[in-house]
Amino acid sequence: MTTTTPAILEARGLTRQFGGVVALDNLDLTVNANEILGLIGPNGSGKTTFFNVITGIYQPNGGTVTFENADVTGASPQKMYHAGVSRTFQRSRLSLPLSLFDNIMIGNHKRLNQGLWFNLMRRQAFRDEFEKNYQAARALLEIFSPPLVRRMFEPVGTLPMIDRRRIEICRALISAPRLLLLDEPSAGMTHDETAALMNDILLVRDQNRNLTIVIVEHEMGVIERITNRCVVLNFGRKIADGPYRSVAADPLVQEAYLGASV
Amino acid sequence: MDVGLIAQYIMNGLMLGMMYALVAVGFTLFFGVLDIIKFSHGDVLTVGAFIALATFVGLKAVGLDSEPVLLVIMLAVSVFATALLGMVIARYLVLPLRSAPALNTLLITLMLGTVLREMVRLFYPEGANPKPFPALLPSGSVNIGQFNLRYDNLIMLVAGIGVIVGLQLLLNRTRLGLAIRAVAQDDETARTMGINFTVVVLITFAIGSGLAAFGGVMNGLYYNEINFGIGLLLGIIGFAAAILGGLGSIYGAILGGFLFAALQTIGAVALPFASAYKDVFAFTVVIMFMAWRPTGLIQEKISERV
Amino acid sequence: MTEMNLSRAPSPASVPVPSSASLWPSIVALAFATAYLIALLAVEEQTLIIGLLTAAVVAVVAANYLGLFVPVGRSFAEHEGTFGLAAIVAAFALAAYFHEDHFVLLLVVTVILYIVATLGLNVQFGYTGILNFAGASFFGIGAYTSAVLNAHTAVPTLLVVLIGGLCAALIGSLLLLPVLRTRGHYAALVTIAFALLFKTFLEVNDVLGGPQGLQVGGMHIFGWSFNDNLSIGGIELSFYINYFLISMLLLVGAFVLVRRLERSWIGLNLDALRLDETAASCFGLNIARWKIVSFTLGNLLIGMAGALFGMVGSFIAPNNYTFADSLILVSILLLGGIGNAWGVIVATIIVVIVPEKLQTIQEYRFLIYAALVIAVLLFRPEGLLTRPVRRYFPGVRS
Repeated sequence: MTTTTPAILEARGLTRQFGGVVALDNLDLTVNANEILGLIGPNGSGKTTFFNVITGIYQPNGGTVTFENADVTGASPQKMYHAGVSRTFQRSRLSLPLSLFDNIMIGNHKRLNQGLWFNLMRRQAFRDEFEKNYQAARALLEIFSPPLVRRMFEPVGTLPMIDRRRIEICRALISAPRLLLLDEPSAGMTHDETAALMNDILLVRDQNRNLTIVIVEHEMGVIERITNRCVVLNFGRKIADGPYRSVAADPLVQEAYLGASV
Repeated sequence: MDVGLIAQYIMNGLMLGMMYALVAVGFTLFFGVLDIIKFSHGDVLTVGAFIALATFVGLKAVGLDSEPVLLVIMLAVSVFATALLGMVIARYLVLPLRSAPALNTLLITLMLGTVLREMVRLFYPEGANPKPFPALLPSGSVNIGQFNLRYDNLIMLVAGIGVIVGLQLLLNRTRLGLAIRAVAQDDETARTMGINFTVVVLITFAIGSGLAAFGGVMNGLYYNEINFGIGLLLGIIGFAAAILGGLGSIYGAILGGFLFAALQTIGAVALPFASAYKDVFAFTVVIMFMAWRPTGLIQEKISERV
Repeated sequence: MTEMNLSRAPSPASVPVPSSASLWPSIVALAFATAYLIALLAVEEQTLIIGLLTAAVVAVVAANYLGLFVPVGRSFAEHEGTFGLAAIVAAFALAAYFHEDHFVLLLVVTVILYIVATLGLNVQFGYTGILNFAGASFFGIGAYTSAVLNAHTAVPTLLVVLIGGLCAALIGSLLLLPVLRTRGHYAALVTIAFALLFKTFLEVNDVLGGPQGLQVGGMHIFGWSFNDNLSIGGIELSFYINYFLISMLLLVGAFVLVRRLERSWIGLNLDALRLDETAASCFGLNIARWKIVSFTLGNLLIGMAGALFGMVGSFIAPNNYTFADSLILVSILLLGGIGNAWGVIVATIIVVIVPEKLQTIQEYRFLIYAALVIAVLLFRPEGLLTRPVRRYFPGVRS
């Protein structure tokens, strides 16, 4: 069944190279609104680079990116965040000495009053805003791990890896983004932990039909279970596009992963 | 402006550029292998100069008078001792902080520079005052037109070029040089290829510090005077030169050193009433350049995986 | 923008939990510290001073070993506001004790103004991670501004203090602009170069007094000259008491400002910026803007402290504003515990007072502090008082 859901993100002819290495090679990739898209491919196929170009960390060398029908080619990371794009990182990038609350609030930047006068002088108003956001952070964190709520003001560095990933996801979700990019969220987790994490993401998603998710994963079970559609990259190019089942059976895809036609 | 004066300015510029290049190469070497800024480098130069002076005093006291011999021994002792100092610094202050944020290494070397500087000021006999440095190179000069070319400057210039060429040969034609370049590019892979990381780092620090000592002696011979603060400004100029040329690139460091000297010379010529501002002028230009091209003339090797 | 729709019952409010820690341990510790400080400042004889200092080290080590600092720490954390008021009272008690002693009062005022300057440095360095090795130069900009304005204009001296701060802030921003989008060591280069060249600049400019320096006119407020001794009800007071009062005002203002800054969304921005610029960018943080705000604010404080200090000392010279002096400020920050405002206070007191009392080590103070910082960086990088996790309001619990 073909859906005519409008595209929320469209990359056309996207190219990015580092010296002699072409990480993204004339890539055409469309993300449809409200879907969960799996982005897979062997190591070095350009998945993280794609995320980095979309979120403005790298400038593309060619091609265009459109988000919600606006041209955002080469937009800064700040601009993409304000437009409603949020992400997690392959190498967990949390501020370890800061508390769980602080880390989540970093993701809430656009909703916090950044004025000097407000922060320094209007302390009661600030306190009210603090309370409000504290409740929001609590509520979000409770979905993923109620025990963590008790540790809201402890440094993130004291948490085990899996809890850190949860905090990272909370940080990405707290600002109610329109597009969420997850870069290998289940790395380092056990099978059960991964399943629990995916459940929670789906729960958040169920309550927010407006959220589009692109997830990079190596665990195919996850991809199969939660994604509507998959795009497979190899050497910076798209080699397959469709539901997981059909993509997994595609001989091109198998060759990319295994090296030769099976 | 007469040709002789121009030639004099050029000669000065070349001498200064040579000294800056020697210091800048050190900075770039350290950054290359360890991704750190070793702010004590300038003060290591000071220590080298003072060790040479102390050696001179000692040798004179035992009656040695032959100038070439004195110079050679002074150089040898200074370079060797300073290289040793560099290795000690690497082993006990820099390597242990490998896993700490880079800021800590910067701070610790900055403080170390202060320690070295203060120790010279406090513990070298009358270290707070400028000390005369012996003129051990052949005096005399030759007149080329209106330009008076001094032999000692010429010798130093040639020696400096020789040292830099020697360094280039070491880095590009020897196995040690290969190991250093490998570690500078990717130390993890270098280690898996069997290169002893610690040894390479120690040797790199030894080389860089030895270069600084050579520069310090040159400085002393050129100005006939040294004081405990010479390394401070030289160090920061060397650092600026290294950044100008692109941190991590030896050619860049050399280029940067001569460029900075050129800027100073231009500044001195353009503002004859306030030659003290030549440094301000040179630094301002460098900083403007950094704002425009932060990675320097030749690409700084940054690789941060996102 | 859609609100996150989370169909769960609202969680209980984060009512501040009634404080479980008593106020007394921290007050007692403060009383001891104040008494000790009075004794140290009063004593003249060198051997006695060495004895006192050794006793302090021993006492602190022993107290730590016996775990006495734990209740003090908790008490302090719960009652920071009250503790702050008590500290102000303690400072006044100290000043009252030495009300006639010019030398001690000058030392106390020096400590206070250095604390203000280092608090400014803390905002730049401790919170935002901007390397500023020209702290003493910005201090000097403030001082020279006050010298020039007091000598040649009729600008009210209180305003002069502010202008001194603004000059430092402006020049600082100009300095930082070129290196805003570069890595940390560029800021180091720029500030070190500035620190080295600032002194030279002062020395070659006869307008600014050259190497000999400049006189600085004292402070006047509504005709009341700060440089005259006071006499209240028959008690003679050193004129430094005037400066003590105004410095305390500046310190309290600066301290409250800096603490509130830290415990706000802005403090969070600065920390995020320091710890991971890339991630912070991805969450909307305008890196350049916050670096400039932080650097400017820090230099404002440093400049104001410098302007006031110029008037206190009534004489300034380029020799007081060297690179080595900037490194002392950095050392205070690193020794006290980078990012910790109270740590700044403790470290400044130690770093300024000890060489003054122990005259034998005055000459060696640059060497000693540099060596101490090296030791700290190797063995206890967090410094004396570690920076605790941000608590936006005292007593907030999950």
